[in-house]
Amino acid sequence: MKAIWLLVSKDLRLEWRTREIVTTVGLLALLLVIVLGAVRSDPEGAPAAMWVTYAFAATLGFTRTFALERDHLTGLRLAPIDRGAIYAAKALTNWVMLAVVQAVSLPVFGALFTEALWTRVPALALPMVLGGIGLAAIGTLFGGLIVQTRLREALLPILMLPVALPLLIAATSATAAILEGQAIAAVSAQLQLLGAFDILFVTASAVLFDVVLEE
Amino acid sequence: MIRPLLVGATGLVLVGAAWALLVAPEEAIQGVPQRIMYVHVPSVITAYVALGVVFVGSVLFLWRRDARWDHLAHAAAELAVLFISMTLISGAIWGKPVWGTWWTWDARLTTTLILWFIYVGYLIVRAWAPGSRGARTAAVIGIVGVLDVPLIHWSAILLRTLHPQPTVLRPEGPALPASMLVPLVVNLAAYLLMFAALLAIRVRQERTLTALVDALEGA
Repeated sequence: MKAIWLLVSKDLRLEWRTREIVTTVGLLALLLVIVLGAVRSDPEGAPAAMWVTYAFAATLGFTRTFALERDHLTGLRLAPIDRGAIYAAKALTNWVMLAVVQAVSLPVFGALFTEALWTRVPALALPMVLGGIGLAAIGTLFGGLIVQTRLREALLPILMLPVALPLLIAATSATAAILEGQAIAAVSAQLQLLGAFDILFVTASAVLFDVVLEE
Repeated sequence: MIRPLLVGATGLVLVGAAWALLVAPEEAIQGVPQRIMYVHVPSVITAYVALGVVFVGSVLFLWRRDARWDHLAHAAAELAVLFISMTLISGAIWGKPVWGTWWTWDARLTTTLILWFIYVGYLIVRAWAPGSRGARTAAVIGIVGVLDVPLIHWSAILLRTLHPQPTVLRPEGPALPASMLVPLVVNLAAYLLMFAALLAIRVRQERTLTALVDALEGA
C-alpha cells in the first residue's frame, strides 16, 4: 500500500508541477464538447457526447502517464516493489486524471446540452466513477504495453476502444436513463455490467502486467 | 502431412458448396437467400474455434515462453479475422433480403463486429511491433479479447435484439430438418478442416521465418 501511495504521489506531484497532461487532455475534452455540441446539442445527444469525450480524453492521457517514465520504464522495473502494486499505482494515477477531466467538463455538458444534468449529479457519479475505473484499468494495461512501440498514440485508441465498447455502451445507456430522470434502480443492469467489467479487467490486467515490465 | 490436409479440405469445401447449392431443399419462406446459412453458420463457428486457439496459444506463450505457441496464436488470429470477415459479409448479404437491412445493432452482430476490430488491432500490433515485445503485446490482446466476449454480448443485449435464436446448437437439440442439417454439418466440417490446413501452413511459415531470421543474425 505504501509503495502504491509513493508511486501515485510521485506521478501526481510531477503532474501538479508541469500540468502537462491535465492541460492538454482537459483542453481536448473541452474541444470535443464544443465540436459535438456544435453539431448536435439537444438533451438526447448528451450521454453519447459525454462518453465519446471521456473515451478520447482517456486514450490521449493514458499514453502520457507512461511516457513520464524515462529510459523505457527501467526505474519501475528495478524498483523493489510488487508488480501488481506498480499496476495499481499507474491505474490509480490514470483514474485520478480522468476523474479530473470528467469533473471539469461536466459543467460544460450541463450548459451546452441539458439543464437536467445539474439536479442529477450524485446519481451520475455512479456510472462516471465505474466507467472511469474500467477505462483506467484497460487503458493502463494497453498504455504500458505500447509505450515502447512506434506509433503509440495511434495504437492505444485502436486497441482500447473496441475492448472498452461494452463499458461505453453500458455507461452511455445508464447516463441516458439517469438524465431522463429515472431512479438508480432502473439502471442496475448497466451498473452491474460496469462493475463486472471493472472487476474482470482490474484482475486480468494486474495478472498480465508482468508482461509490460519485461525487457 | 499438410498437403493431404489441404487437398482434403478443398475437396470437402467444394462438396459442401455443391450440396448446399444444388441438393439441399429450398426454404419455404426465405427461398434462395437462406442457402447463405451454409456459409454463414460454419464461418462463425470456425471463427470462434480460431479465437479459442488464439486464447490458448497466447496463454501458453506467456506461461511457457515457447515461440511455437506464439506462432500458433498468430496464425489462428489471422484466420479468425478471415472467418469473422466472412461471417459479417455473408450475414449482411443474408440480412438485406430477409430483414430488409444490411446491418442492425443486434447482440450477435455487434459482438462479431467488435471482435473483428479487436483482432485487426492484434494483427496491426504484429505488423508494427515485431520481435518479442510485439509477440507479448499481441498475446495480451489475444487474451483480453476473448475475456471481453461475454461482456460485449451482455452490453449488446442491453441495446436490442433481432437475430434469430440458435436453431442448431441449443439444449433441446437441433430444430433444423435433416435435409438441411446434414449439408450444414458437411460445410462446418469442411470449414474446420480448411482452418486446420491453413493454420498448419501459416505456423510452418512462421517457424521457417524465425529460423531464417535467427540464421541471418547468427551469420
